[in-house]
Amino acid sequence: MGIVDLTSMGESQVKLRNEINERLSRLQDEISDYCYQCAKCTSGCEAHKLLELEPHKIVALLKRGLIDEMINSDVIWTCMSCFKCRERCPQKVAPVEILFALKNMAVASGKQIPGNYTAMLQSVLSIGLIQDVKSITTRDNKTKSRSDLDLPEISKPTDSTKFQMILSKLAVEKV
Amino acid sequence: MSNKIGFFVCHCGINISSTVDIKELMEYAKTLDGVVISKDYKYMCSDVGANLIKDSIKKHNLDSVVIACCSPRMHEHTFRGVVEAGGVNAFNLEIANIREQCSWAHENKNLATEKAKALVRGAVAKAKLLESLETSKIKVTPKALVIGGGIAGIQAALDIAEEGHKVYLVEKSPSIGGRMAQLDKTFPTLDCSSCILTPKMMEVANHPNIELLSYSEVIGIEGSIGNYNVKVKKKARFVDMDKCTGCGDCMVACRLKDRISSEFDEGIGKRSAIYMPFPQAVPLKCTIDAENCLLLTRGKCGTGPLCVEACDADAIDFKQKDEEVELNVGVIVVATGYDLLDPTSLHEYGYSRSDDVITTLEMERLISSSGPTTGEIIRPSNGEKPKSITYVLCVGSRDETECTWCCRIGCMSALKHVYLLKEKLGEDIEINICYTDIRSFGKGYEEFYRKIRGMKTNFFRGRPSEVRKSGDHLTIDIFDTTTNKLFEIKTDLVVLAPALVSRADATDFTRILRISQSIDGFFLEAHPKLRPIDTFTGGVFIAGCCQSPKDIQDSVAQASGAAARAANILSKKELEAEPLISYVDEDLCSGCSTCLSVCAYNAIELVKDGDKSQAKVNEALCMGCGLCVVTCPSGAMQQHGYKDKQLRPMIEETV
Repeated sequence: MGIVDLTSMGESQVKLRNEINERLSRLQDEISDYCYQCAKCTSGCEAHKLLELEPHKIVALLKRGLIDEMINSDVIWTCMSCFKCRERCPQKVAPVEILFALKNMAVASGKQIPGNYTAMLQSVLSIGLIQDVKSITTRDNKTKSRSDLDLPEISKPTDSTKFQMILSKLAVEKV
Repeated sequence: MSNKIGFFVCHCGINISSTVDIKELMEYAKTLDGVVISKDYKYMCSDVGANLIKDSIKKHNLDSVVIACCSPRMHEHTFRGVVEAGGVNAFNLEIANIREQCSWAHENKNLATEKAKALVRGAVAKAKLLESLETSKIKVTPKALVIGGGIAGIQAALDIAEEGHKVYLVEKSPSIGGRMAQLDKTFPTLDCSSCILTPKMMEVANHPNIELLSYSEVIGIEGSIGNYNVKVKKKARFVDMDKCTGCGDCMVACRLKDRISSEFDEGIGKRSAIYMPFPQAVPLKCTIDAENCLLLTRGKCGTGPLCVEACDADAIDFKQKDEEVELNVGVIVVATGYDLLDPTSLHEYGYSRSDDVITTLEMERLISSSGPTTGEIIRPSNGEKPKSITYVLCVGSRDETECTWCCRIGCMSALKHVYLLKEKLGEDIEINICYTDIRSFGKGYEEFYRKIRGMKTNFFRGRPSEVRKSGDHLTIDIFDTTTNKLFEIKTDLVVLAPALVSRADATDFTRILRISQSIDGFFLEAHPKLRPIDTFTGGVFIAGCCQSPKDIQDSVAQASGAAARAANILSKKELEAEPLISYVDEDLCSGCSTCLSVCAYNAIELVKDGDKSQAKVNEALCMGCGLCVVTCPSGAMQQHGYKDKQLRPMIEETV
């Protein structure tokens, strides 16, 4: 028969919802239907404190199949991928994985991604890291490198062409 | 008259001692006339406290005891036993309630101590005038009456019968089975309801200790614990129970076949004027519905009643009349069940406006393979299969304008229906559940709820404001608080889970039984935590939904509990009679009979002695409520343990 969101006149996008749920199943997480909205995820969400991400609401919208609303929103890009929500969910649902799926869908549908993300992506493609290794300044105003602190060197891709090829292959196949 | 009174004061941990100066109270008690010793202890109701009282009685040769402690409702019984064991008559005990009526009610220690002194002063004044009383014995009629033949009544009857006592099971409708017989499956195990119920019904029918009085109503009860005299009306079935074979030929022949709304099918199915409510009915006998039968209402049924023609057993007897029988029993178990709230009163949900708005119990009859559609799910309006079904939970429940309480079965019934409907209509059938909270509190219930969440069910957290007809469909607007969005649901069939309410005749029934109702209309238990099965009337117990809404598990458990409480009494040959009862001072009684009119237990009668008549108290029936004493204009009516001459000095000393 049908369920309509009267504010946006949006209807349930059943196919996309099932796609995301299948992805969750492949990752051995529970499908969103099991979520009973306790909001433990949001209680501990690092991004919520700064950027108003509400993982439980993401799950609620997914259950209702309102996918477009989410992939059109910047809020999905605020997840810091700390994985606490996945660790702590009493119903074994993983909001963080849902957010990954939504971000992938956003990219696949040609949505504009936030600027910082593009810069990070560029950096990964060129040096293999989201930002280059930097030195730090100590409290007594001295500059130290990793080797000064006896930390191991961070390895970078040796063959950047091959690395970029692997990355694009992954992006095409998603996860 | 007592001259040697022992005074004991309890600290009750710090419940009393933090507000009342115990030392000061002890010293004060010593100065009172008649008090020979004064002692305290932290918990007087403990073994150590009890021994202190017992030893003191012996050592000081006490003839009366005053204990300053909690309310007599808590420990009077305990302390009566203690003083009796110490060698003093159990009724030479007076309790000064310095907890509920003093320490708990006040904060100022000085003033509270002064009030405690006044209460003790009064208690000592009365203790001096107490008299020894002997407890008489009442013979117990070792039989039980169970009212109501639903699962609770069936369970209670079977349990008492298994204890070896005779049980009369009275059921108002033509068959036992009650609400459970109407259900298709039970949550959360999905047992077939009638498969687990009918064996119990058969057991009732065949048990040598159970006498089943179906199609009968209790119309009067007299007497008291141990000896109740019960009047039962056996309604005329117009069918000879000995001859009827239950073949059902008459039902097929009846001129009104499929014309009368079936109570058992919640109005979704139709029956004849002569009928059996369902195929597994116990007793398996037909009944003529006197309100609809053409012959009984109009005096004429075509050229002659077709049922008589169809009945090979010659069982139909239009001359039958209602009969009254009297039963003597020692105890009564009340298991009269519940009604569903008629959702018409919540007109916004359109129950009376659309055939496609039904109740959970009506859906139960649609799902049932023995139901009017043999288990086919249809829209009542057009007989078509629904593609979308929407449940509205808490209809009238948790609602200050209807029923303030939770029905305790709505959530689980709806979840059960999801499972059964997906089984019948395929997993892709759209089922929406509008809920306020899902309450899945029983054993295995939460797991069942999780299973249903995994079965493609749309849960909307919120209560719809209305159900509208739009064309061939029904439309519901619901604000879902999980997404903070307003949704419109277009659906084919709306199922309401209505509140559970007390039986329509519950109030009349409390008058017959002399029990009380709580504010919600259900029967009142003697204590919500510690005496949930007892009533305030001795020997009357309550089980199942007549006490409060509950599921089958809880009803059965409470019924077994009621049976155990009942058997407690039945297994005794004699009970101790209440000695604190009324008596008549014959020199003062003028025979005005005012006391008769107030006695709720019919314990007083007027006895003629020559041309003079006088009130007389039946000791077995008097419950010691004291109403006659305060009503008596001449002071002729007195109560043992509370005589005017004992109470007056107490009052004078206290105030």
